[in-house]
Amino acid sequence: MKSLRRDLSSNPQAANVTSKIFVRSTKSGKVQKIVRELYLRQDIPCSSKICSACPTTAPADANGNITPFVLSEHPAGTSAFPRGHYLVPDTNALLNGMDLFEHTGAFYDVIILQTVLEELKNQSLPLYNRLLALIKTDDKRFYLFFNEFRLETHVRRGPDESINDRNDRAVRTVAKWYTEHLKTTAKGKKEKTIPTIVVITDDKENLRKAKQEGVTALSLSDYVAGLEDSDRLLDMINESREAREAKGARGELFYPEYYSKSRLMTGVRAGNLHQGVFNVSPYNYLEGSINVSAFDKPLLILGRDNSNRAISGDVVVIEVLPKDQWKTPSTKLVDEEAVTKNDNPDAEDSEAVVTERERKALQEEVKKAHGTNSEGRPQPTARVVGVMERRWRQYVGHVDSGSTGAQDSSGRRQQNVFVLPMDKKVPKIRVRTRQAADLLGQRILVTIDAWDRDSRYPTGHFIRSLGELETKGAETEALLLEYDVQYKPFPKAVLDCLPSEGHDWRVPTSKENIGWKGRRDLRDLLICSIDPPGCQDIDDALHARPLPNGNFEVGVHIADVSHFVKPNNAMDLEASLRGTTVYLVDKRIDMLPHLLGTDLCSLKPYVERYAFSVLWEMTPNAEVVSADFTKSVIRSREAFSYEKAQKRIDDPSAKDELTESMRTLLRFSKILRQKRMDAGALNLASPEVRIEADNDEVGDPLADVKTKAMLETNSLVEEFMLHANITVATKIYSTFSQTAMLRRHATPPPQNFEELTNQLTKKRDMRIDVSSSRALADSLDRCVDEKNPFFNTLVRILATRCMTSAEYFCAGAHAESEFRHYGLASPIYTHFTSPIRRYADLLVHRQLASAINYEGEDGRAVVEGVMTRNRLEDICRNINYRHRNAQFAGRASIEYYVGQALKARGEKMAATSMDGGIEEEGYVMRVFENGVVVFVPRFGIEGVVRLEDFVLPTDAALRTVAERRELVMRRQSDFDNEEYTLRVSNKGQSETDGSMKVELFEKVNVNVSSVKEEGGRGAGKRRVRILILGNNA
Amino acid sequence: MPLDTSTTYPLTKLRLDGRRWNELRLLQAQISTNPASSGSSYLAMGNTAILCSVHGPAEGRRGDATGGAAGSAGAVVEVDVSVAGFSGVDRKRRAGGSDKQSTRIASILRSAFQSHLHTHLYPHSTISVHVSVLSSDGSLLAAAVNACTLALVDAGIPMPGLLCGCTAGMSGSASTARDPDNDFLDPLLDLSLPEEQELPFLTVGTTTTVPVGEAAMLNEDEDEMKVAMLTMDSKVHCSYVETMLAVGIDGCKQIREILEGVIKKSARS
Repeated sequence: MKSLRRDLSSNPQAANVTSKIFVRSTKSGKVQKIVRELYLRQDIPCSSKICSACPTTAPADANGNITPFVLSEHPAGTSAFPRGHYLVPDTNALLNGMDLFEHTGAFYDVIILQTVLEELKNQSLPLYNRLLALIKTDDKRFYLFFNEFRLETHVRRGPDESINDRNDRAVRTVAKWYTEHLKTTAKGKKEKTIPTIVVITDDKENLRKAKQEGVTALSLSDYVAGLEDSDRLLDMINESREAREAKGARGELFYPEYYSKSRLMTGVRAGNLHQGVFNVSPYNYLEGSINVSAFDKPLLILGRDNSNRAISGDVVVIEVLPKDQWKTPSTKLVDEEAVTKNDNPDAEDSEAVVTERERKALQEEVKKAHGTNSEGRPQPTARVVGVMERRWRQYVGHVDSGSTGAQDSSGRRQQNVFVLPMDKKVPKIRVRTRQAADLLGQRILVTIDAWDRDSRYPTGHFIRSLGELETKGAETEALLLEYDVQYKPFPKAVLDCLPSEGHDWRVPTSKENIGWKGRRDLRDLLICSIDPPGCQDIDDALHARPLPNGNFEVGVHIADVSHFVKPNNAMDLEASLRGTTVYLVDKRIDMLPHLLGTDLCSLKPYVERYAFSVLWEMTPNAEVVSADFTKSVIRSREAFSYEKAQKRIDDPSAKDELTESMRTLLRFSKILRQKRMDAGALNLASPEVRIEADNDEVGDPLADVKTKAMLETNSLVEEFMLHANITVATKIYSTFSQTAMLRRHATPPPQNFEELTNQLTKKRDMRIDVSSSRALADSLDRCVDEKNPFFNTLVRILATRCMTSAEYFCAGAHAESEFRHYGLASPIYTHFTSPIRRYADLLVHRQLASAINYEGEDGRAVVEGVMTRNRLEDICRNINYRHRNAQFAGRASIEYYVGQALKARGEKMAATSMDGGIEEEGYVMRVFENGVVVFVPRFGIEGVVRLEDFVLPTDAALRTVAERRELVMRRQSDFDNEEYTLRVSNKGQSETDGSMKVELFEKVNVNVSSVKEEGGRGAGKRRVRILILGNNA
Repeated sequence: MPLDTSTTYPLTKLRLDGRRWNELRLLQAQISTNPASSGSSYLAMGNTAILCSVHGPAEGRRGDATGGAAGSAGAVVEVDVSVAGFSGVDRKRRAGGSDKQSTRIASILRSAFQSHLHTHLYPHSTISVHVSVLSSDGSLLAAAVNACTLALVDAGIPMPGLLCGCTAGMSGSASTARDPDNDFLDPLLDLSLPEEQELPFLTVGTTTTVPVGEAAMLNEDEDEMKVAMLTMDSKVHCSYVETMLAVGIDGCKQIREILEGVIKKSARS
């Protein structure tokens, strides 16, 4: 019997094969030993342009291309390294300073080691992804060096060596090898021109060993200190690690410890603990809620102690508290800035987690807990016992001027400041900075590094400044960052995907051309588009014409974006990432490059364009006889605005064919709408206003703020688009039963409406019936208050908020019965009609093209839309997220604009009269114990009115903010939780005399103005102030 | 979490075990490892190690109800694959010896060799092949094909040429059409287990006819290669299949040279 042992002596290559053995434990707790082969080689290039040896040995890929070398011949240096340097960071340097490495002012020519990349991936996936993005960009010159596979730099772990020591040694070995390698191979062999290899590490032991071995090594902060502009850069280093070390000795712990991972896992599996996403109430920063699958209703999480360092959005594990600790949801407005304004960012020692004031605020809630009506019934509460996933991102905020300390302008001393995030749900962040004085009054971007048990607030670091507060540029960028909108210009790779003809691109004249393949010629049809005024990206156009048999042919023509955006090229990937076009008041962040969106795809009038058409044959009663889908070429006859189209239809003298066809469309749309309403479609209201930005300087800036007007033509277009979407949804679902891209709106659970039903019953003796969408639609129609015409809209706004939001999904993800679109009362729905501004539509286009067996230019059936379900579900998740954020960003932009308009008006008025502010009607939306929320329809804003902002009959009319604040001490309130009323009076005054009582849904007169906070809390922050002047107007 | 090929390959053009796209793993083989059998072999491709032994051709067929009529046209090839419990990362106790994976490999091997071998020379007989997987680290089927070929050669069973198997994959998901302007995916040869789990791949087996008679005199350089076996379980866009196949066939060619070397060496000793 022969020996089966590997006989390595005979094979010359075998000497270079080694193996990597490591042990890992799986999720289920199993330990696995993994053995991997490693093939060591000598042809891994150093990628330095100085090197003369590597280019000759550098291997080619399958196409024979050699990867271009990355590292510059003349890298930047610092005063310490006049010859320039290549940086070799180790893992902790990247963990602590990723923001620095991304900075465009420094950190070029960096060698990233395989060892480091792998370790980073184990420690932090987000940072790993950011690093990969850096490696992929050309201009930062990051080179990924696979050191473990190069014979010279491969390091075997010693018998007693820890894995960290081994990795550190690998980094040093690479540094040594690079130095030697460059010395021997450098072109010209001039010692002076060879850059230094600088290892960047924050490990003290590593630094010491490096010194011993003659490797140049620096800690991250020492290296940065040698750069220009070091003050600003130093702030960007993650501080948490050092701080933790420094503080560890003190051992003061403010928060309970999290349970161990295994305890969490077993608890969740056993059902004792629950996992969910932590949400913070927008009205009370101390109150959070969490939806877990085990219960219908969300659980409450009250107070800092219980929320235990969770930040809104984190995935946490909670434990339900005993019944005697159950409470009612708060009826109080609690604003972090107000309660904790006196906290000192440096005085960690005297901190308690729950300050006296916070404790007081909580106590009052406990009292309320034992109410008797259904509203006041105590609700289950819970506390956070572990965090599964941090969803920390970068936050936009500003430095709290109160926290900078007295000596703020005195030099460059490092100090702690608080940064107040724009997002009220996020606690303030402690940031160490050397430039506190400069940062005051700036919009800044910060990130959270850690939140340890011994720190009351999370610690973070400064990333960059966006500009001065309230400047248009800074605020717009802040908005975009806050809502994670990709606003950077399109990279070159994306622009390269555009047709080379640019704006001169035309539909080919010859029908023999490949572009015409499978397209129907619809240029003779009288097609027109109807859009908002000034619309450039025209997605859709329509036509209608009588057929010889008495029926009508109605067509919806959608821009054929999928012709220009081929699957999986750079442009497609970028678009799928952006997901949607974001509309701000004065800016549009496109999903697709300008050339496509506003020209080549846009169905502009008088020119030929590619389109994707849905054609129906309809009877004169708008019954659909048949539907047909085809790619086509169209020529739009006219691009109308809603108003112009309306005028033309209403003009009795207009008798031309185009107008007639529009009239037909209008007639049909009314029938379709009626059918939809009969089926139970909801007519929901959103508090939207429109800003017409073409303001002239002289006029009243507020005149630009308009509530949205609804013309018949709006609903004309809307109806046909809905109809097209539904038709397409049915078609693609019949072809792709698992992967069709659809949109659903889940039936809201009845308990969502509980509170609203309660309120309506109490205050108006009205009922809303939520048993079906039809019932809800009807009952909403009945909610009318004769004296208060806006009441119905108000109820609709509130009802909308009780519903779930619509979402994209892929057909396989839900049962067919779950496809329903509740709001539109349609059993199936998708988005097909706006491919220029929504990625979902683009996907649907591809699927439809494939469903009708359209063969693309290359003669192949377009099967790319039919991707795997996994990929589609990823895309759905992303576009749902982007879609939601785009809406939020749009609303925030309008809100900001209204604030600015009020401010401009205030300044104008200040010149002539005493006080700014404009009197308007408002409606009470929610009543709290110490204030109310008022909605002002004229501006589409809602705001909190605190006790001091009630103007009582005995008060002098209007006062400054500071004067008003003093009032707060004298105010008392009488809150009736069951009747939803709040009576505000001055202390010491009798109940009836000089008091004011407001109740839910009531119409009140308010004064709206924009004020800048001065002194005290949140100084320098502008907000819209609403004063209640009186009611029963 | 270890790195993955589809992310790092485009950046470094190196696979996770340090190979280039067109490199085989270290392939080592021996024949006549088990004197008790008619023919046997041991073959290791990287960390995939396989023992194979052949019995037969022997008369009749065990437990054959047809009374030997089944093999009247020629020998019947029986293949039996057993995967050792310690061969993978997780130690598994296998009840009954066969699972889905080993049954599948066995049936592919059976049909491949049934048509490949000159079975008509042995009517009413059975050639039984036993494959033991000692350690599995990707390209299991390909390694099994190669091990069987060696063992069958050792057993002296006539065949038109060596049947060699190899895997080939793409360095990315390759789920959409290849874009000729922006072709960043490289094909990969001889996939290891982590690569198989991440990437689409196919297994191809080729054979060449050993030139006899007149053809041998002509001494053509170009061997006539025939694809004798091809399986693919992963999804890949059709525009990539050709590339993968070409790379796989090239791999088979390399493997054949190695196997020929092994056979010649053992003949000499």
